[in-house]
Amino acid sequence: MARLTIPPQELVHPGHAACPGCGAALAMRLLLKGLGSRTVVSVPACCWTVIATPYPTTALGVALLDNPIESTGASISGIRAAVDALGLPDVTVVGFAGDGGTADIGLQALSGMLERRTNAIYVMYDNEAYMNTGIQRSGATPEGAWTTTTPVIGVGRGKPERKKDIMAIVLAHRPVYAATLNPSFPEDFVRKVETARGIPGPRFFHIFAPCPPGWRFTSEATIEIGRLATDTGVFPLYEVEDGRLRITRRLSSLKPVEEYLSRQGRYGHLTGAERERIQAQVREGWERLRREESVGPPPGPVRPGVAATSGPEPATVDSG
Amino acid sequence: MIEIRFHGRGGQGAVVASELLAQAAFLDGKHPQSFPFFGVERRGAPVTAFCRLDDRAVRLRTSITRPDIVVVLEPGLLRAGGVMDGLPPGGLLLVNSRDDPARLPAPPEVRRASVDATAIAVAHGLGTPMLPIVNTAVLGALAAASGAVRLDALERAIDRFVPARPAQNRAAARDGFGAVRLAPAEVAVRAPPVRAGRTLRAGLELPDGPLAVVSSATIATSAWRTMRPEIDLGRCTRCNFCWKFCPDDAIELNAEGYPVVRLEHCKGCGICAVECPPGTIAMVAEG
Ligand SMILES: Cc1ncc(C[n+]2csc(CCOP(=O)(O)OP(=O)(O)O)c2C)c(N)n1
Ligand code: SF4
Ligand code: SF4
Ligand code: SF4
Ligand SMILES: [Mg+2]
Repeated sequence: MARLTIPPQELVHPGHAACPGCGAALAMRLLLKGLGSRTVVSVPACCWTVIATPYPTTALGVALLDNPIESTGASISGIRAAVDALGLPDVTVVGFAGDGGTADIGLQALSGMLERRTNAIYVMYDNEAYMNTGIQRSGATPEGAWTTTTPVIGVGRGKPERKKDIMAIVLAHRPVYAATLNPSFPEDFVRKVETARGIPGPRFFHIFAPCPPGWRFTSEATIEIGRLATDTGVFPLYEVEDGRLRITRRLSSLKPVEEYLSRQGRYGHLTGAERERIQAQVREGWERLRREESVGPPPGPVRPGVAATSGPEPATVDSG
Repeated sequence: MIEIRFHGRGGQGAVVASELLAQAAFLDGKHPQSFPFFGVERRGAPVTAFCRLDDRAVRLRTSITRPDIVVVLEPGLLRAGGVMDGLPPGGLLLVNSRDDPARLPAPPEVRRASVDATAIAVAHGLGTPMLPIVNTAVLGALAAASGAVRLDALERAIDRFVPARPAQNRAAARDGFGAVRLAPAEVAVRAPPVRAGRTLRAGLELPDGPLAVVSSATIATSAWRTMRPEIDLGRCTRCNFCWKFCPDDAIELNAEGYPVVRLEHCKGCGICAVECPPGTIAMVAEG
């Protein structure tokens, strides 16, 4: 019998309302394996609100709060303050938000949470569009991808703009730990979660979350497509601790991006020239990552400290 | 007024079927109304849509809890529960099924009809064999079994509102019209249906506070599935890959480390079959 390479505990219950083959569902399952039961999760409006709460039930074996789509960062700052006020320092506070709710609508709250040095983990699970409302493009949708608001009709060729680099935005805030995670690599995934759990301060995970209906592929291919995303260089796996970048899945050569694109209906319309352009961008991104790894962190203090609690000092209560 | 409730899965076209029926009835001079249940429309998940047809404007705006007709786009949904809710004696149950209508699992005082809409859809190249688009064939059968709408109105509605393959969809509707089989109610009931007050199904009362404390594991998602994994344990190496990658936590490892699929929760995504290194998991069609 093979030994288990990831923790056995299951804190995501079956019966949840994700589509068959949902990468985001597997992401939460692996995340909570790494974090354990002393965790509070805050979820904004996104697929996961619906997945977690088929009325009148909950799919999480940990405390779960729903919050407005733009407020995840603010919400986890508040939860951290409350947990600290209750004297529960061992509790991990997590915000679990979609790419639309993070890279677009909730960007200011994320920035504020990182700047305040909130002792919490912010997760962006990236299915690369607003999926819960029916596949509208987001800032995290890749160039060329079909969505219902970037249709392939007339002059429309999918999304004309490039994907926002959320990791660069986050790293500009100097978090204590930030990493890219992919459920197709469960051991690397859980190791990063366990590493981050032990470092107090603002932390960030960018999690790759293949979405069968939104990306137009059949549900059995979720893990294969995730693996291809990393092995083609589309979604490289790395972590940044105290400003030091380390690639966690080293590749001597990248697979052709075409192997990734051709598995998904959302890229079906792309011409050879358009595919070449994406290939060139991916190669450039991979080279940049390798350069950053070899150069090392910039000089100067990279960890500006951790807020004892977040937000303003609580008002003193006059007990007299 | 005729009240019709459609049951399908996300992706099968139940909502479109209800809308198309309403459009056809409108072309026929009726006052129709059509809307889906406001809920999750995940691919494979049970989906409900409502359609009312009347000679006068329809003012009711509520979900249909006492339907005159229930239309089921896939026989597996009869397992899901709730499908037959409120269907009165003398009401009509139409199911996309190869079975003889008399063998449909329904109370004997209900009129039953079946049509092999899957075969018709596949023959006309509508959808894929895994997810055939059966709605137009079923609507043809509905026209024949109920008279709620005329076939020619249905064909005109298909021409105007179905963007893809209108000719094939019209042919499917005609084939459904011809292929429907009927079993009469075993007890003839003529009394008008009694309109009962709203009843909540057991276990779905409002909770006392905003906290959900009941686990989603109490909800079966087996009816989402059209394919089921079958593991050949003789060739299993107990590598636990299938367990690791299941997004639905539907695979347990037993004391010896062998995987056991919890069929009440498996949604049939097929990931375990693809990820099993020795290929000992086969996806087989649900009956
Ligand atoms: C301020 C606001 N605007 C719009 C919505 C509607 N809404 C609910 S979920 C959702 C999609 C969110 O997309 P994303 O964050 O990428 O998560 P996903 O659904 O893709 O998992 C939207 C737009 C909302 N709830 N609040
Ligand atoms: S739409 Fe995509 S992300 Fe949302 S539940 Fe379905 S598979 Fe998961
Ligand atoms: S088919 Fe999908 S849901 Fe069912 S056991 Fe396999 S991986 Fe889990
Ligand atoms: S993946 Fe295949 S070989 Fe491995 S435990 Fe599952 S059934 Fe057995
Ligand atoms: Mg999204």
